[in-house]
Amino acid sequence: MKGFTLWFTGLSGSGKSTLAHRIEEILLERGMKVEVLDGDVVRQNLSKGLGFSKEDRDINIRRIGWVCHILTRNQVVAIAAAISPYKAVRDENRRLIGRFVEVYCKASIDALKKRDPKGLYEKALRGELKNFTGVDDPYEPPEHPEIVVETDKESIDESVNKIIRTLELMGYIPAGESSEDYSAEEEEKIKKRLKDLGYI
Amino acid sequence: MMEKILVIGLDCATPQLLFEQFAPDLPNLRALWQKGTKAKMLSTIPPITVPAWTSMMTSKDPGQLGFYGFRNRAGYDYENLYFANARYVKEKTVWNYLNRNRMPALCFGIPQTYPPKPINGIMVGCFLTPDKNADFTYPSELKAELDQAADGDYIIDIKDFRTDKKDRLLEQIYVMTERRFKAFRHFYKKDEWPFAMMVEMGIDRIHHGFWRYFDRGHRLFEPGNKYENAIRDYYIFVDRKIGELLNELDGKTSVMVVSDHGAKRMEGAICVNEWLAKMGWLKLKDHPQNQTKFKMEMVDWEHTRAWSEGGYYARVFCNVQGREPQGRIPPSDYEKFRDELKAALEAITDESGHNIGTLVFKPQDIYKQVKNIPPDLIVHFGNLDWRSAGSVGTGKIHIYENDTGPDDANHAQEAIFIWNVDPARLKQKKELISIYDIAPTILQFLGIDPPEDMIGKSLLK
Repeated sequence: MKGFTLWFTGLSGSGKSTLAHRIEEILLERGMKVEVLDGDVVRQNLSKGLGFSKEDRDINIRRIGWVCHILTRNQVVAIAAAISPYKAVRDENRRLIGRFVEVYCKASIDALKKRDPKGLYEKALRGELKNFTGVDDPYEPPEHPEIVVETDKESIDESVNKIIRTLELMGYIPAGESSEDYSAEEEEKIKKRLKDLGYI
Repeated sequence: MMEKILVIGLDCATPQLLFEQFAPDLPNLRALWQKGTKAKMLSTIPPITVPAWTSMMTSKDPGQLGFYGFRNRAGYDYENLYFANARYVKEKTVWNYLNRNRMPALCFGIPQTYPPKPINGIMVGCFLTPDKNADFTYPSELKAELDQAADGDYIIDIKDFRTDKKDRLLEQIYVMTERRFKAFRHFYKKDEWPFAMMVEMGIDRIHHGFWRYFDRGHRLFEPGNKYENAIRDYYIFVDRKIGELLNELDGKTSVMVVSDHGAKRMEGAICVNEWLAKMGWLKLKDHPQNQTKFKMEMVDWEHTRAWSEGGYYARVFCNVQGREPQGRIPPSDYEKFRDELKAALEAITDESGHNIGTLVFKPQDIYKQVKNIPPDLIVHFGNLDWRSAGSVGTGKIHIYENDTGPDDANHAQEAIFIWNVDPARLKQKKELISIYDIAPTILQFLGIDPPEDMIGKSLLK
């Protein structure tokens, strides 16, 4: 299989990392080479020291895009999970990588504030966290993402299935199982054998 | 150091032969358990190839898996049965978890792996492959290499098992086993496999084909017959093949040998539909006078409350109003009827009037969940001393020739488990383990925390 990049974009807490790792597991089970570039992790190594200004955010996303690019051309599936708030840089990455599938993790800010597992929205709203996307920093939703998952409405399994099905249909990943059941003729063969063997 | 484990599956290998009667002649297997451990292993209910191997590899019971045997009801109508092949396995297997953790797997002939799904590693499909024209390997291009590696036509399973040409059958079983081990060795040596597993079907086939010739307690046993040692000789042959495989190992690989169920002498068969008819619970439009294969279209559903499928065990189905198209049992009476039926089945005697000790299970009582459509009752006649014959028109309840051809062995609940692991690593020395313990044990051995939803427990400390 050829490589491709699966790019998750969306607000903090919208499910990017969770979905990225679920998709990673499924693709690994199907024998594909996969790497996840998680925004939170990248900021501790590759982008250590960068802040949250627009300039720094753009550098961070370009770096992730560049790593995705070199992985993709080496037949690896690169999965990026980063807020990536600015459309221009995401599109720049899309042009660089070519085989690029954008997944928009869509969730209302109200739902995210309610969910807020790390308590970040609360802090940002109290003014204790500056440049927080969706609170006092902008987020530009993608205009034509290949996949939209509405994580405030769908279960994780539903979103995962939607992504996997789309990737299968687009031919980026092999089907998880053959779609054909036994033909009538094959079924007769199996039936005879199992009958001969005494199973049925 | 990265651990490696090789699992050798011997379908139907049975403790009383492997651990006792034949043990002195099986030096390679004996060496494994003398270094490590051995135990009897309780199989699934029912102890049948499907679902047993998949239960072993997922640590999920048949109810959780949603299939209860080879053929399962797809709907509550009277005809719609489907074969549970790999497409129907929705739970995660050992190799799924290993792949997630970036460990490749070599899976060779493990029952219920046809059609093969893509994996990180190699998958050679099982005996549910219709024939070799089908895509039964992953990657699919492996198919050609398989025959080369086998040094001849790779045999998925025995053709035309019901035969009186016992010499030919015996020869086929040997050739199949020889080639499977050869092919497996080829692929095993090609790469580094943290987990590799092969399943050989030959022991099951030889038990079913030759039991009467070797078991002195079998009513058809003839002393001094030509095949008296056929089963023993074949166990010795398999032990030798295992020895050859073990010679290829690097000394760092742990070796586990398992079966999915055991085997025992078959006393005869209970004609379950004939019995249901006699009890007034099954009515045929025109009850045949000669032994006839039971077919759903024979049934007078207006006057039928239960019917059954034959096999090594029986699956009994109830005809319930609002569920089956022409259901007769009011839903409010369903449990009462099921209890009545269960009690009557448990009371079945042999021809001399002795209770045969039939075990009857309600799926809801024995499984953690009951997915898809289970049989209403699962029946082990005489604790599997007797099989279930579906045929009607026999005019009697007990028959001594299998209705689908000669067969003298039935499956038994206890399977075998051998592992050459350092016994100090085991939680305790157990005489009896569960088939559900295998998957969590393998995962822990390879450094992966067993998922909490597995119902077995790792044997390791």
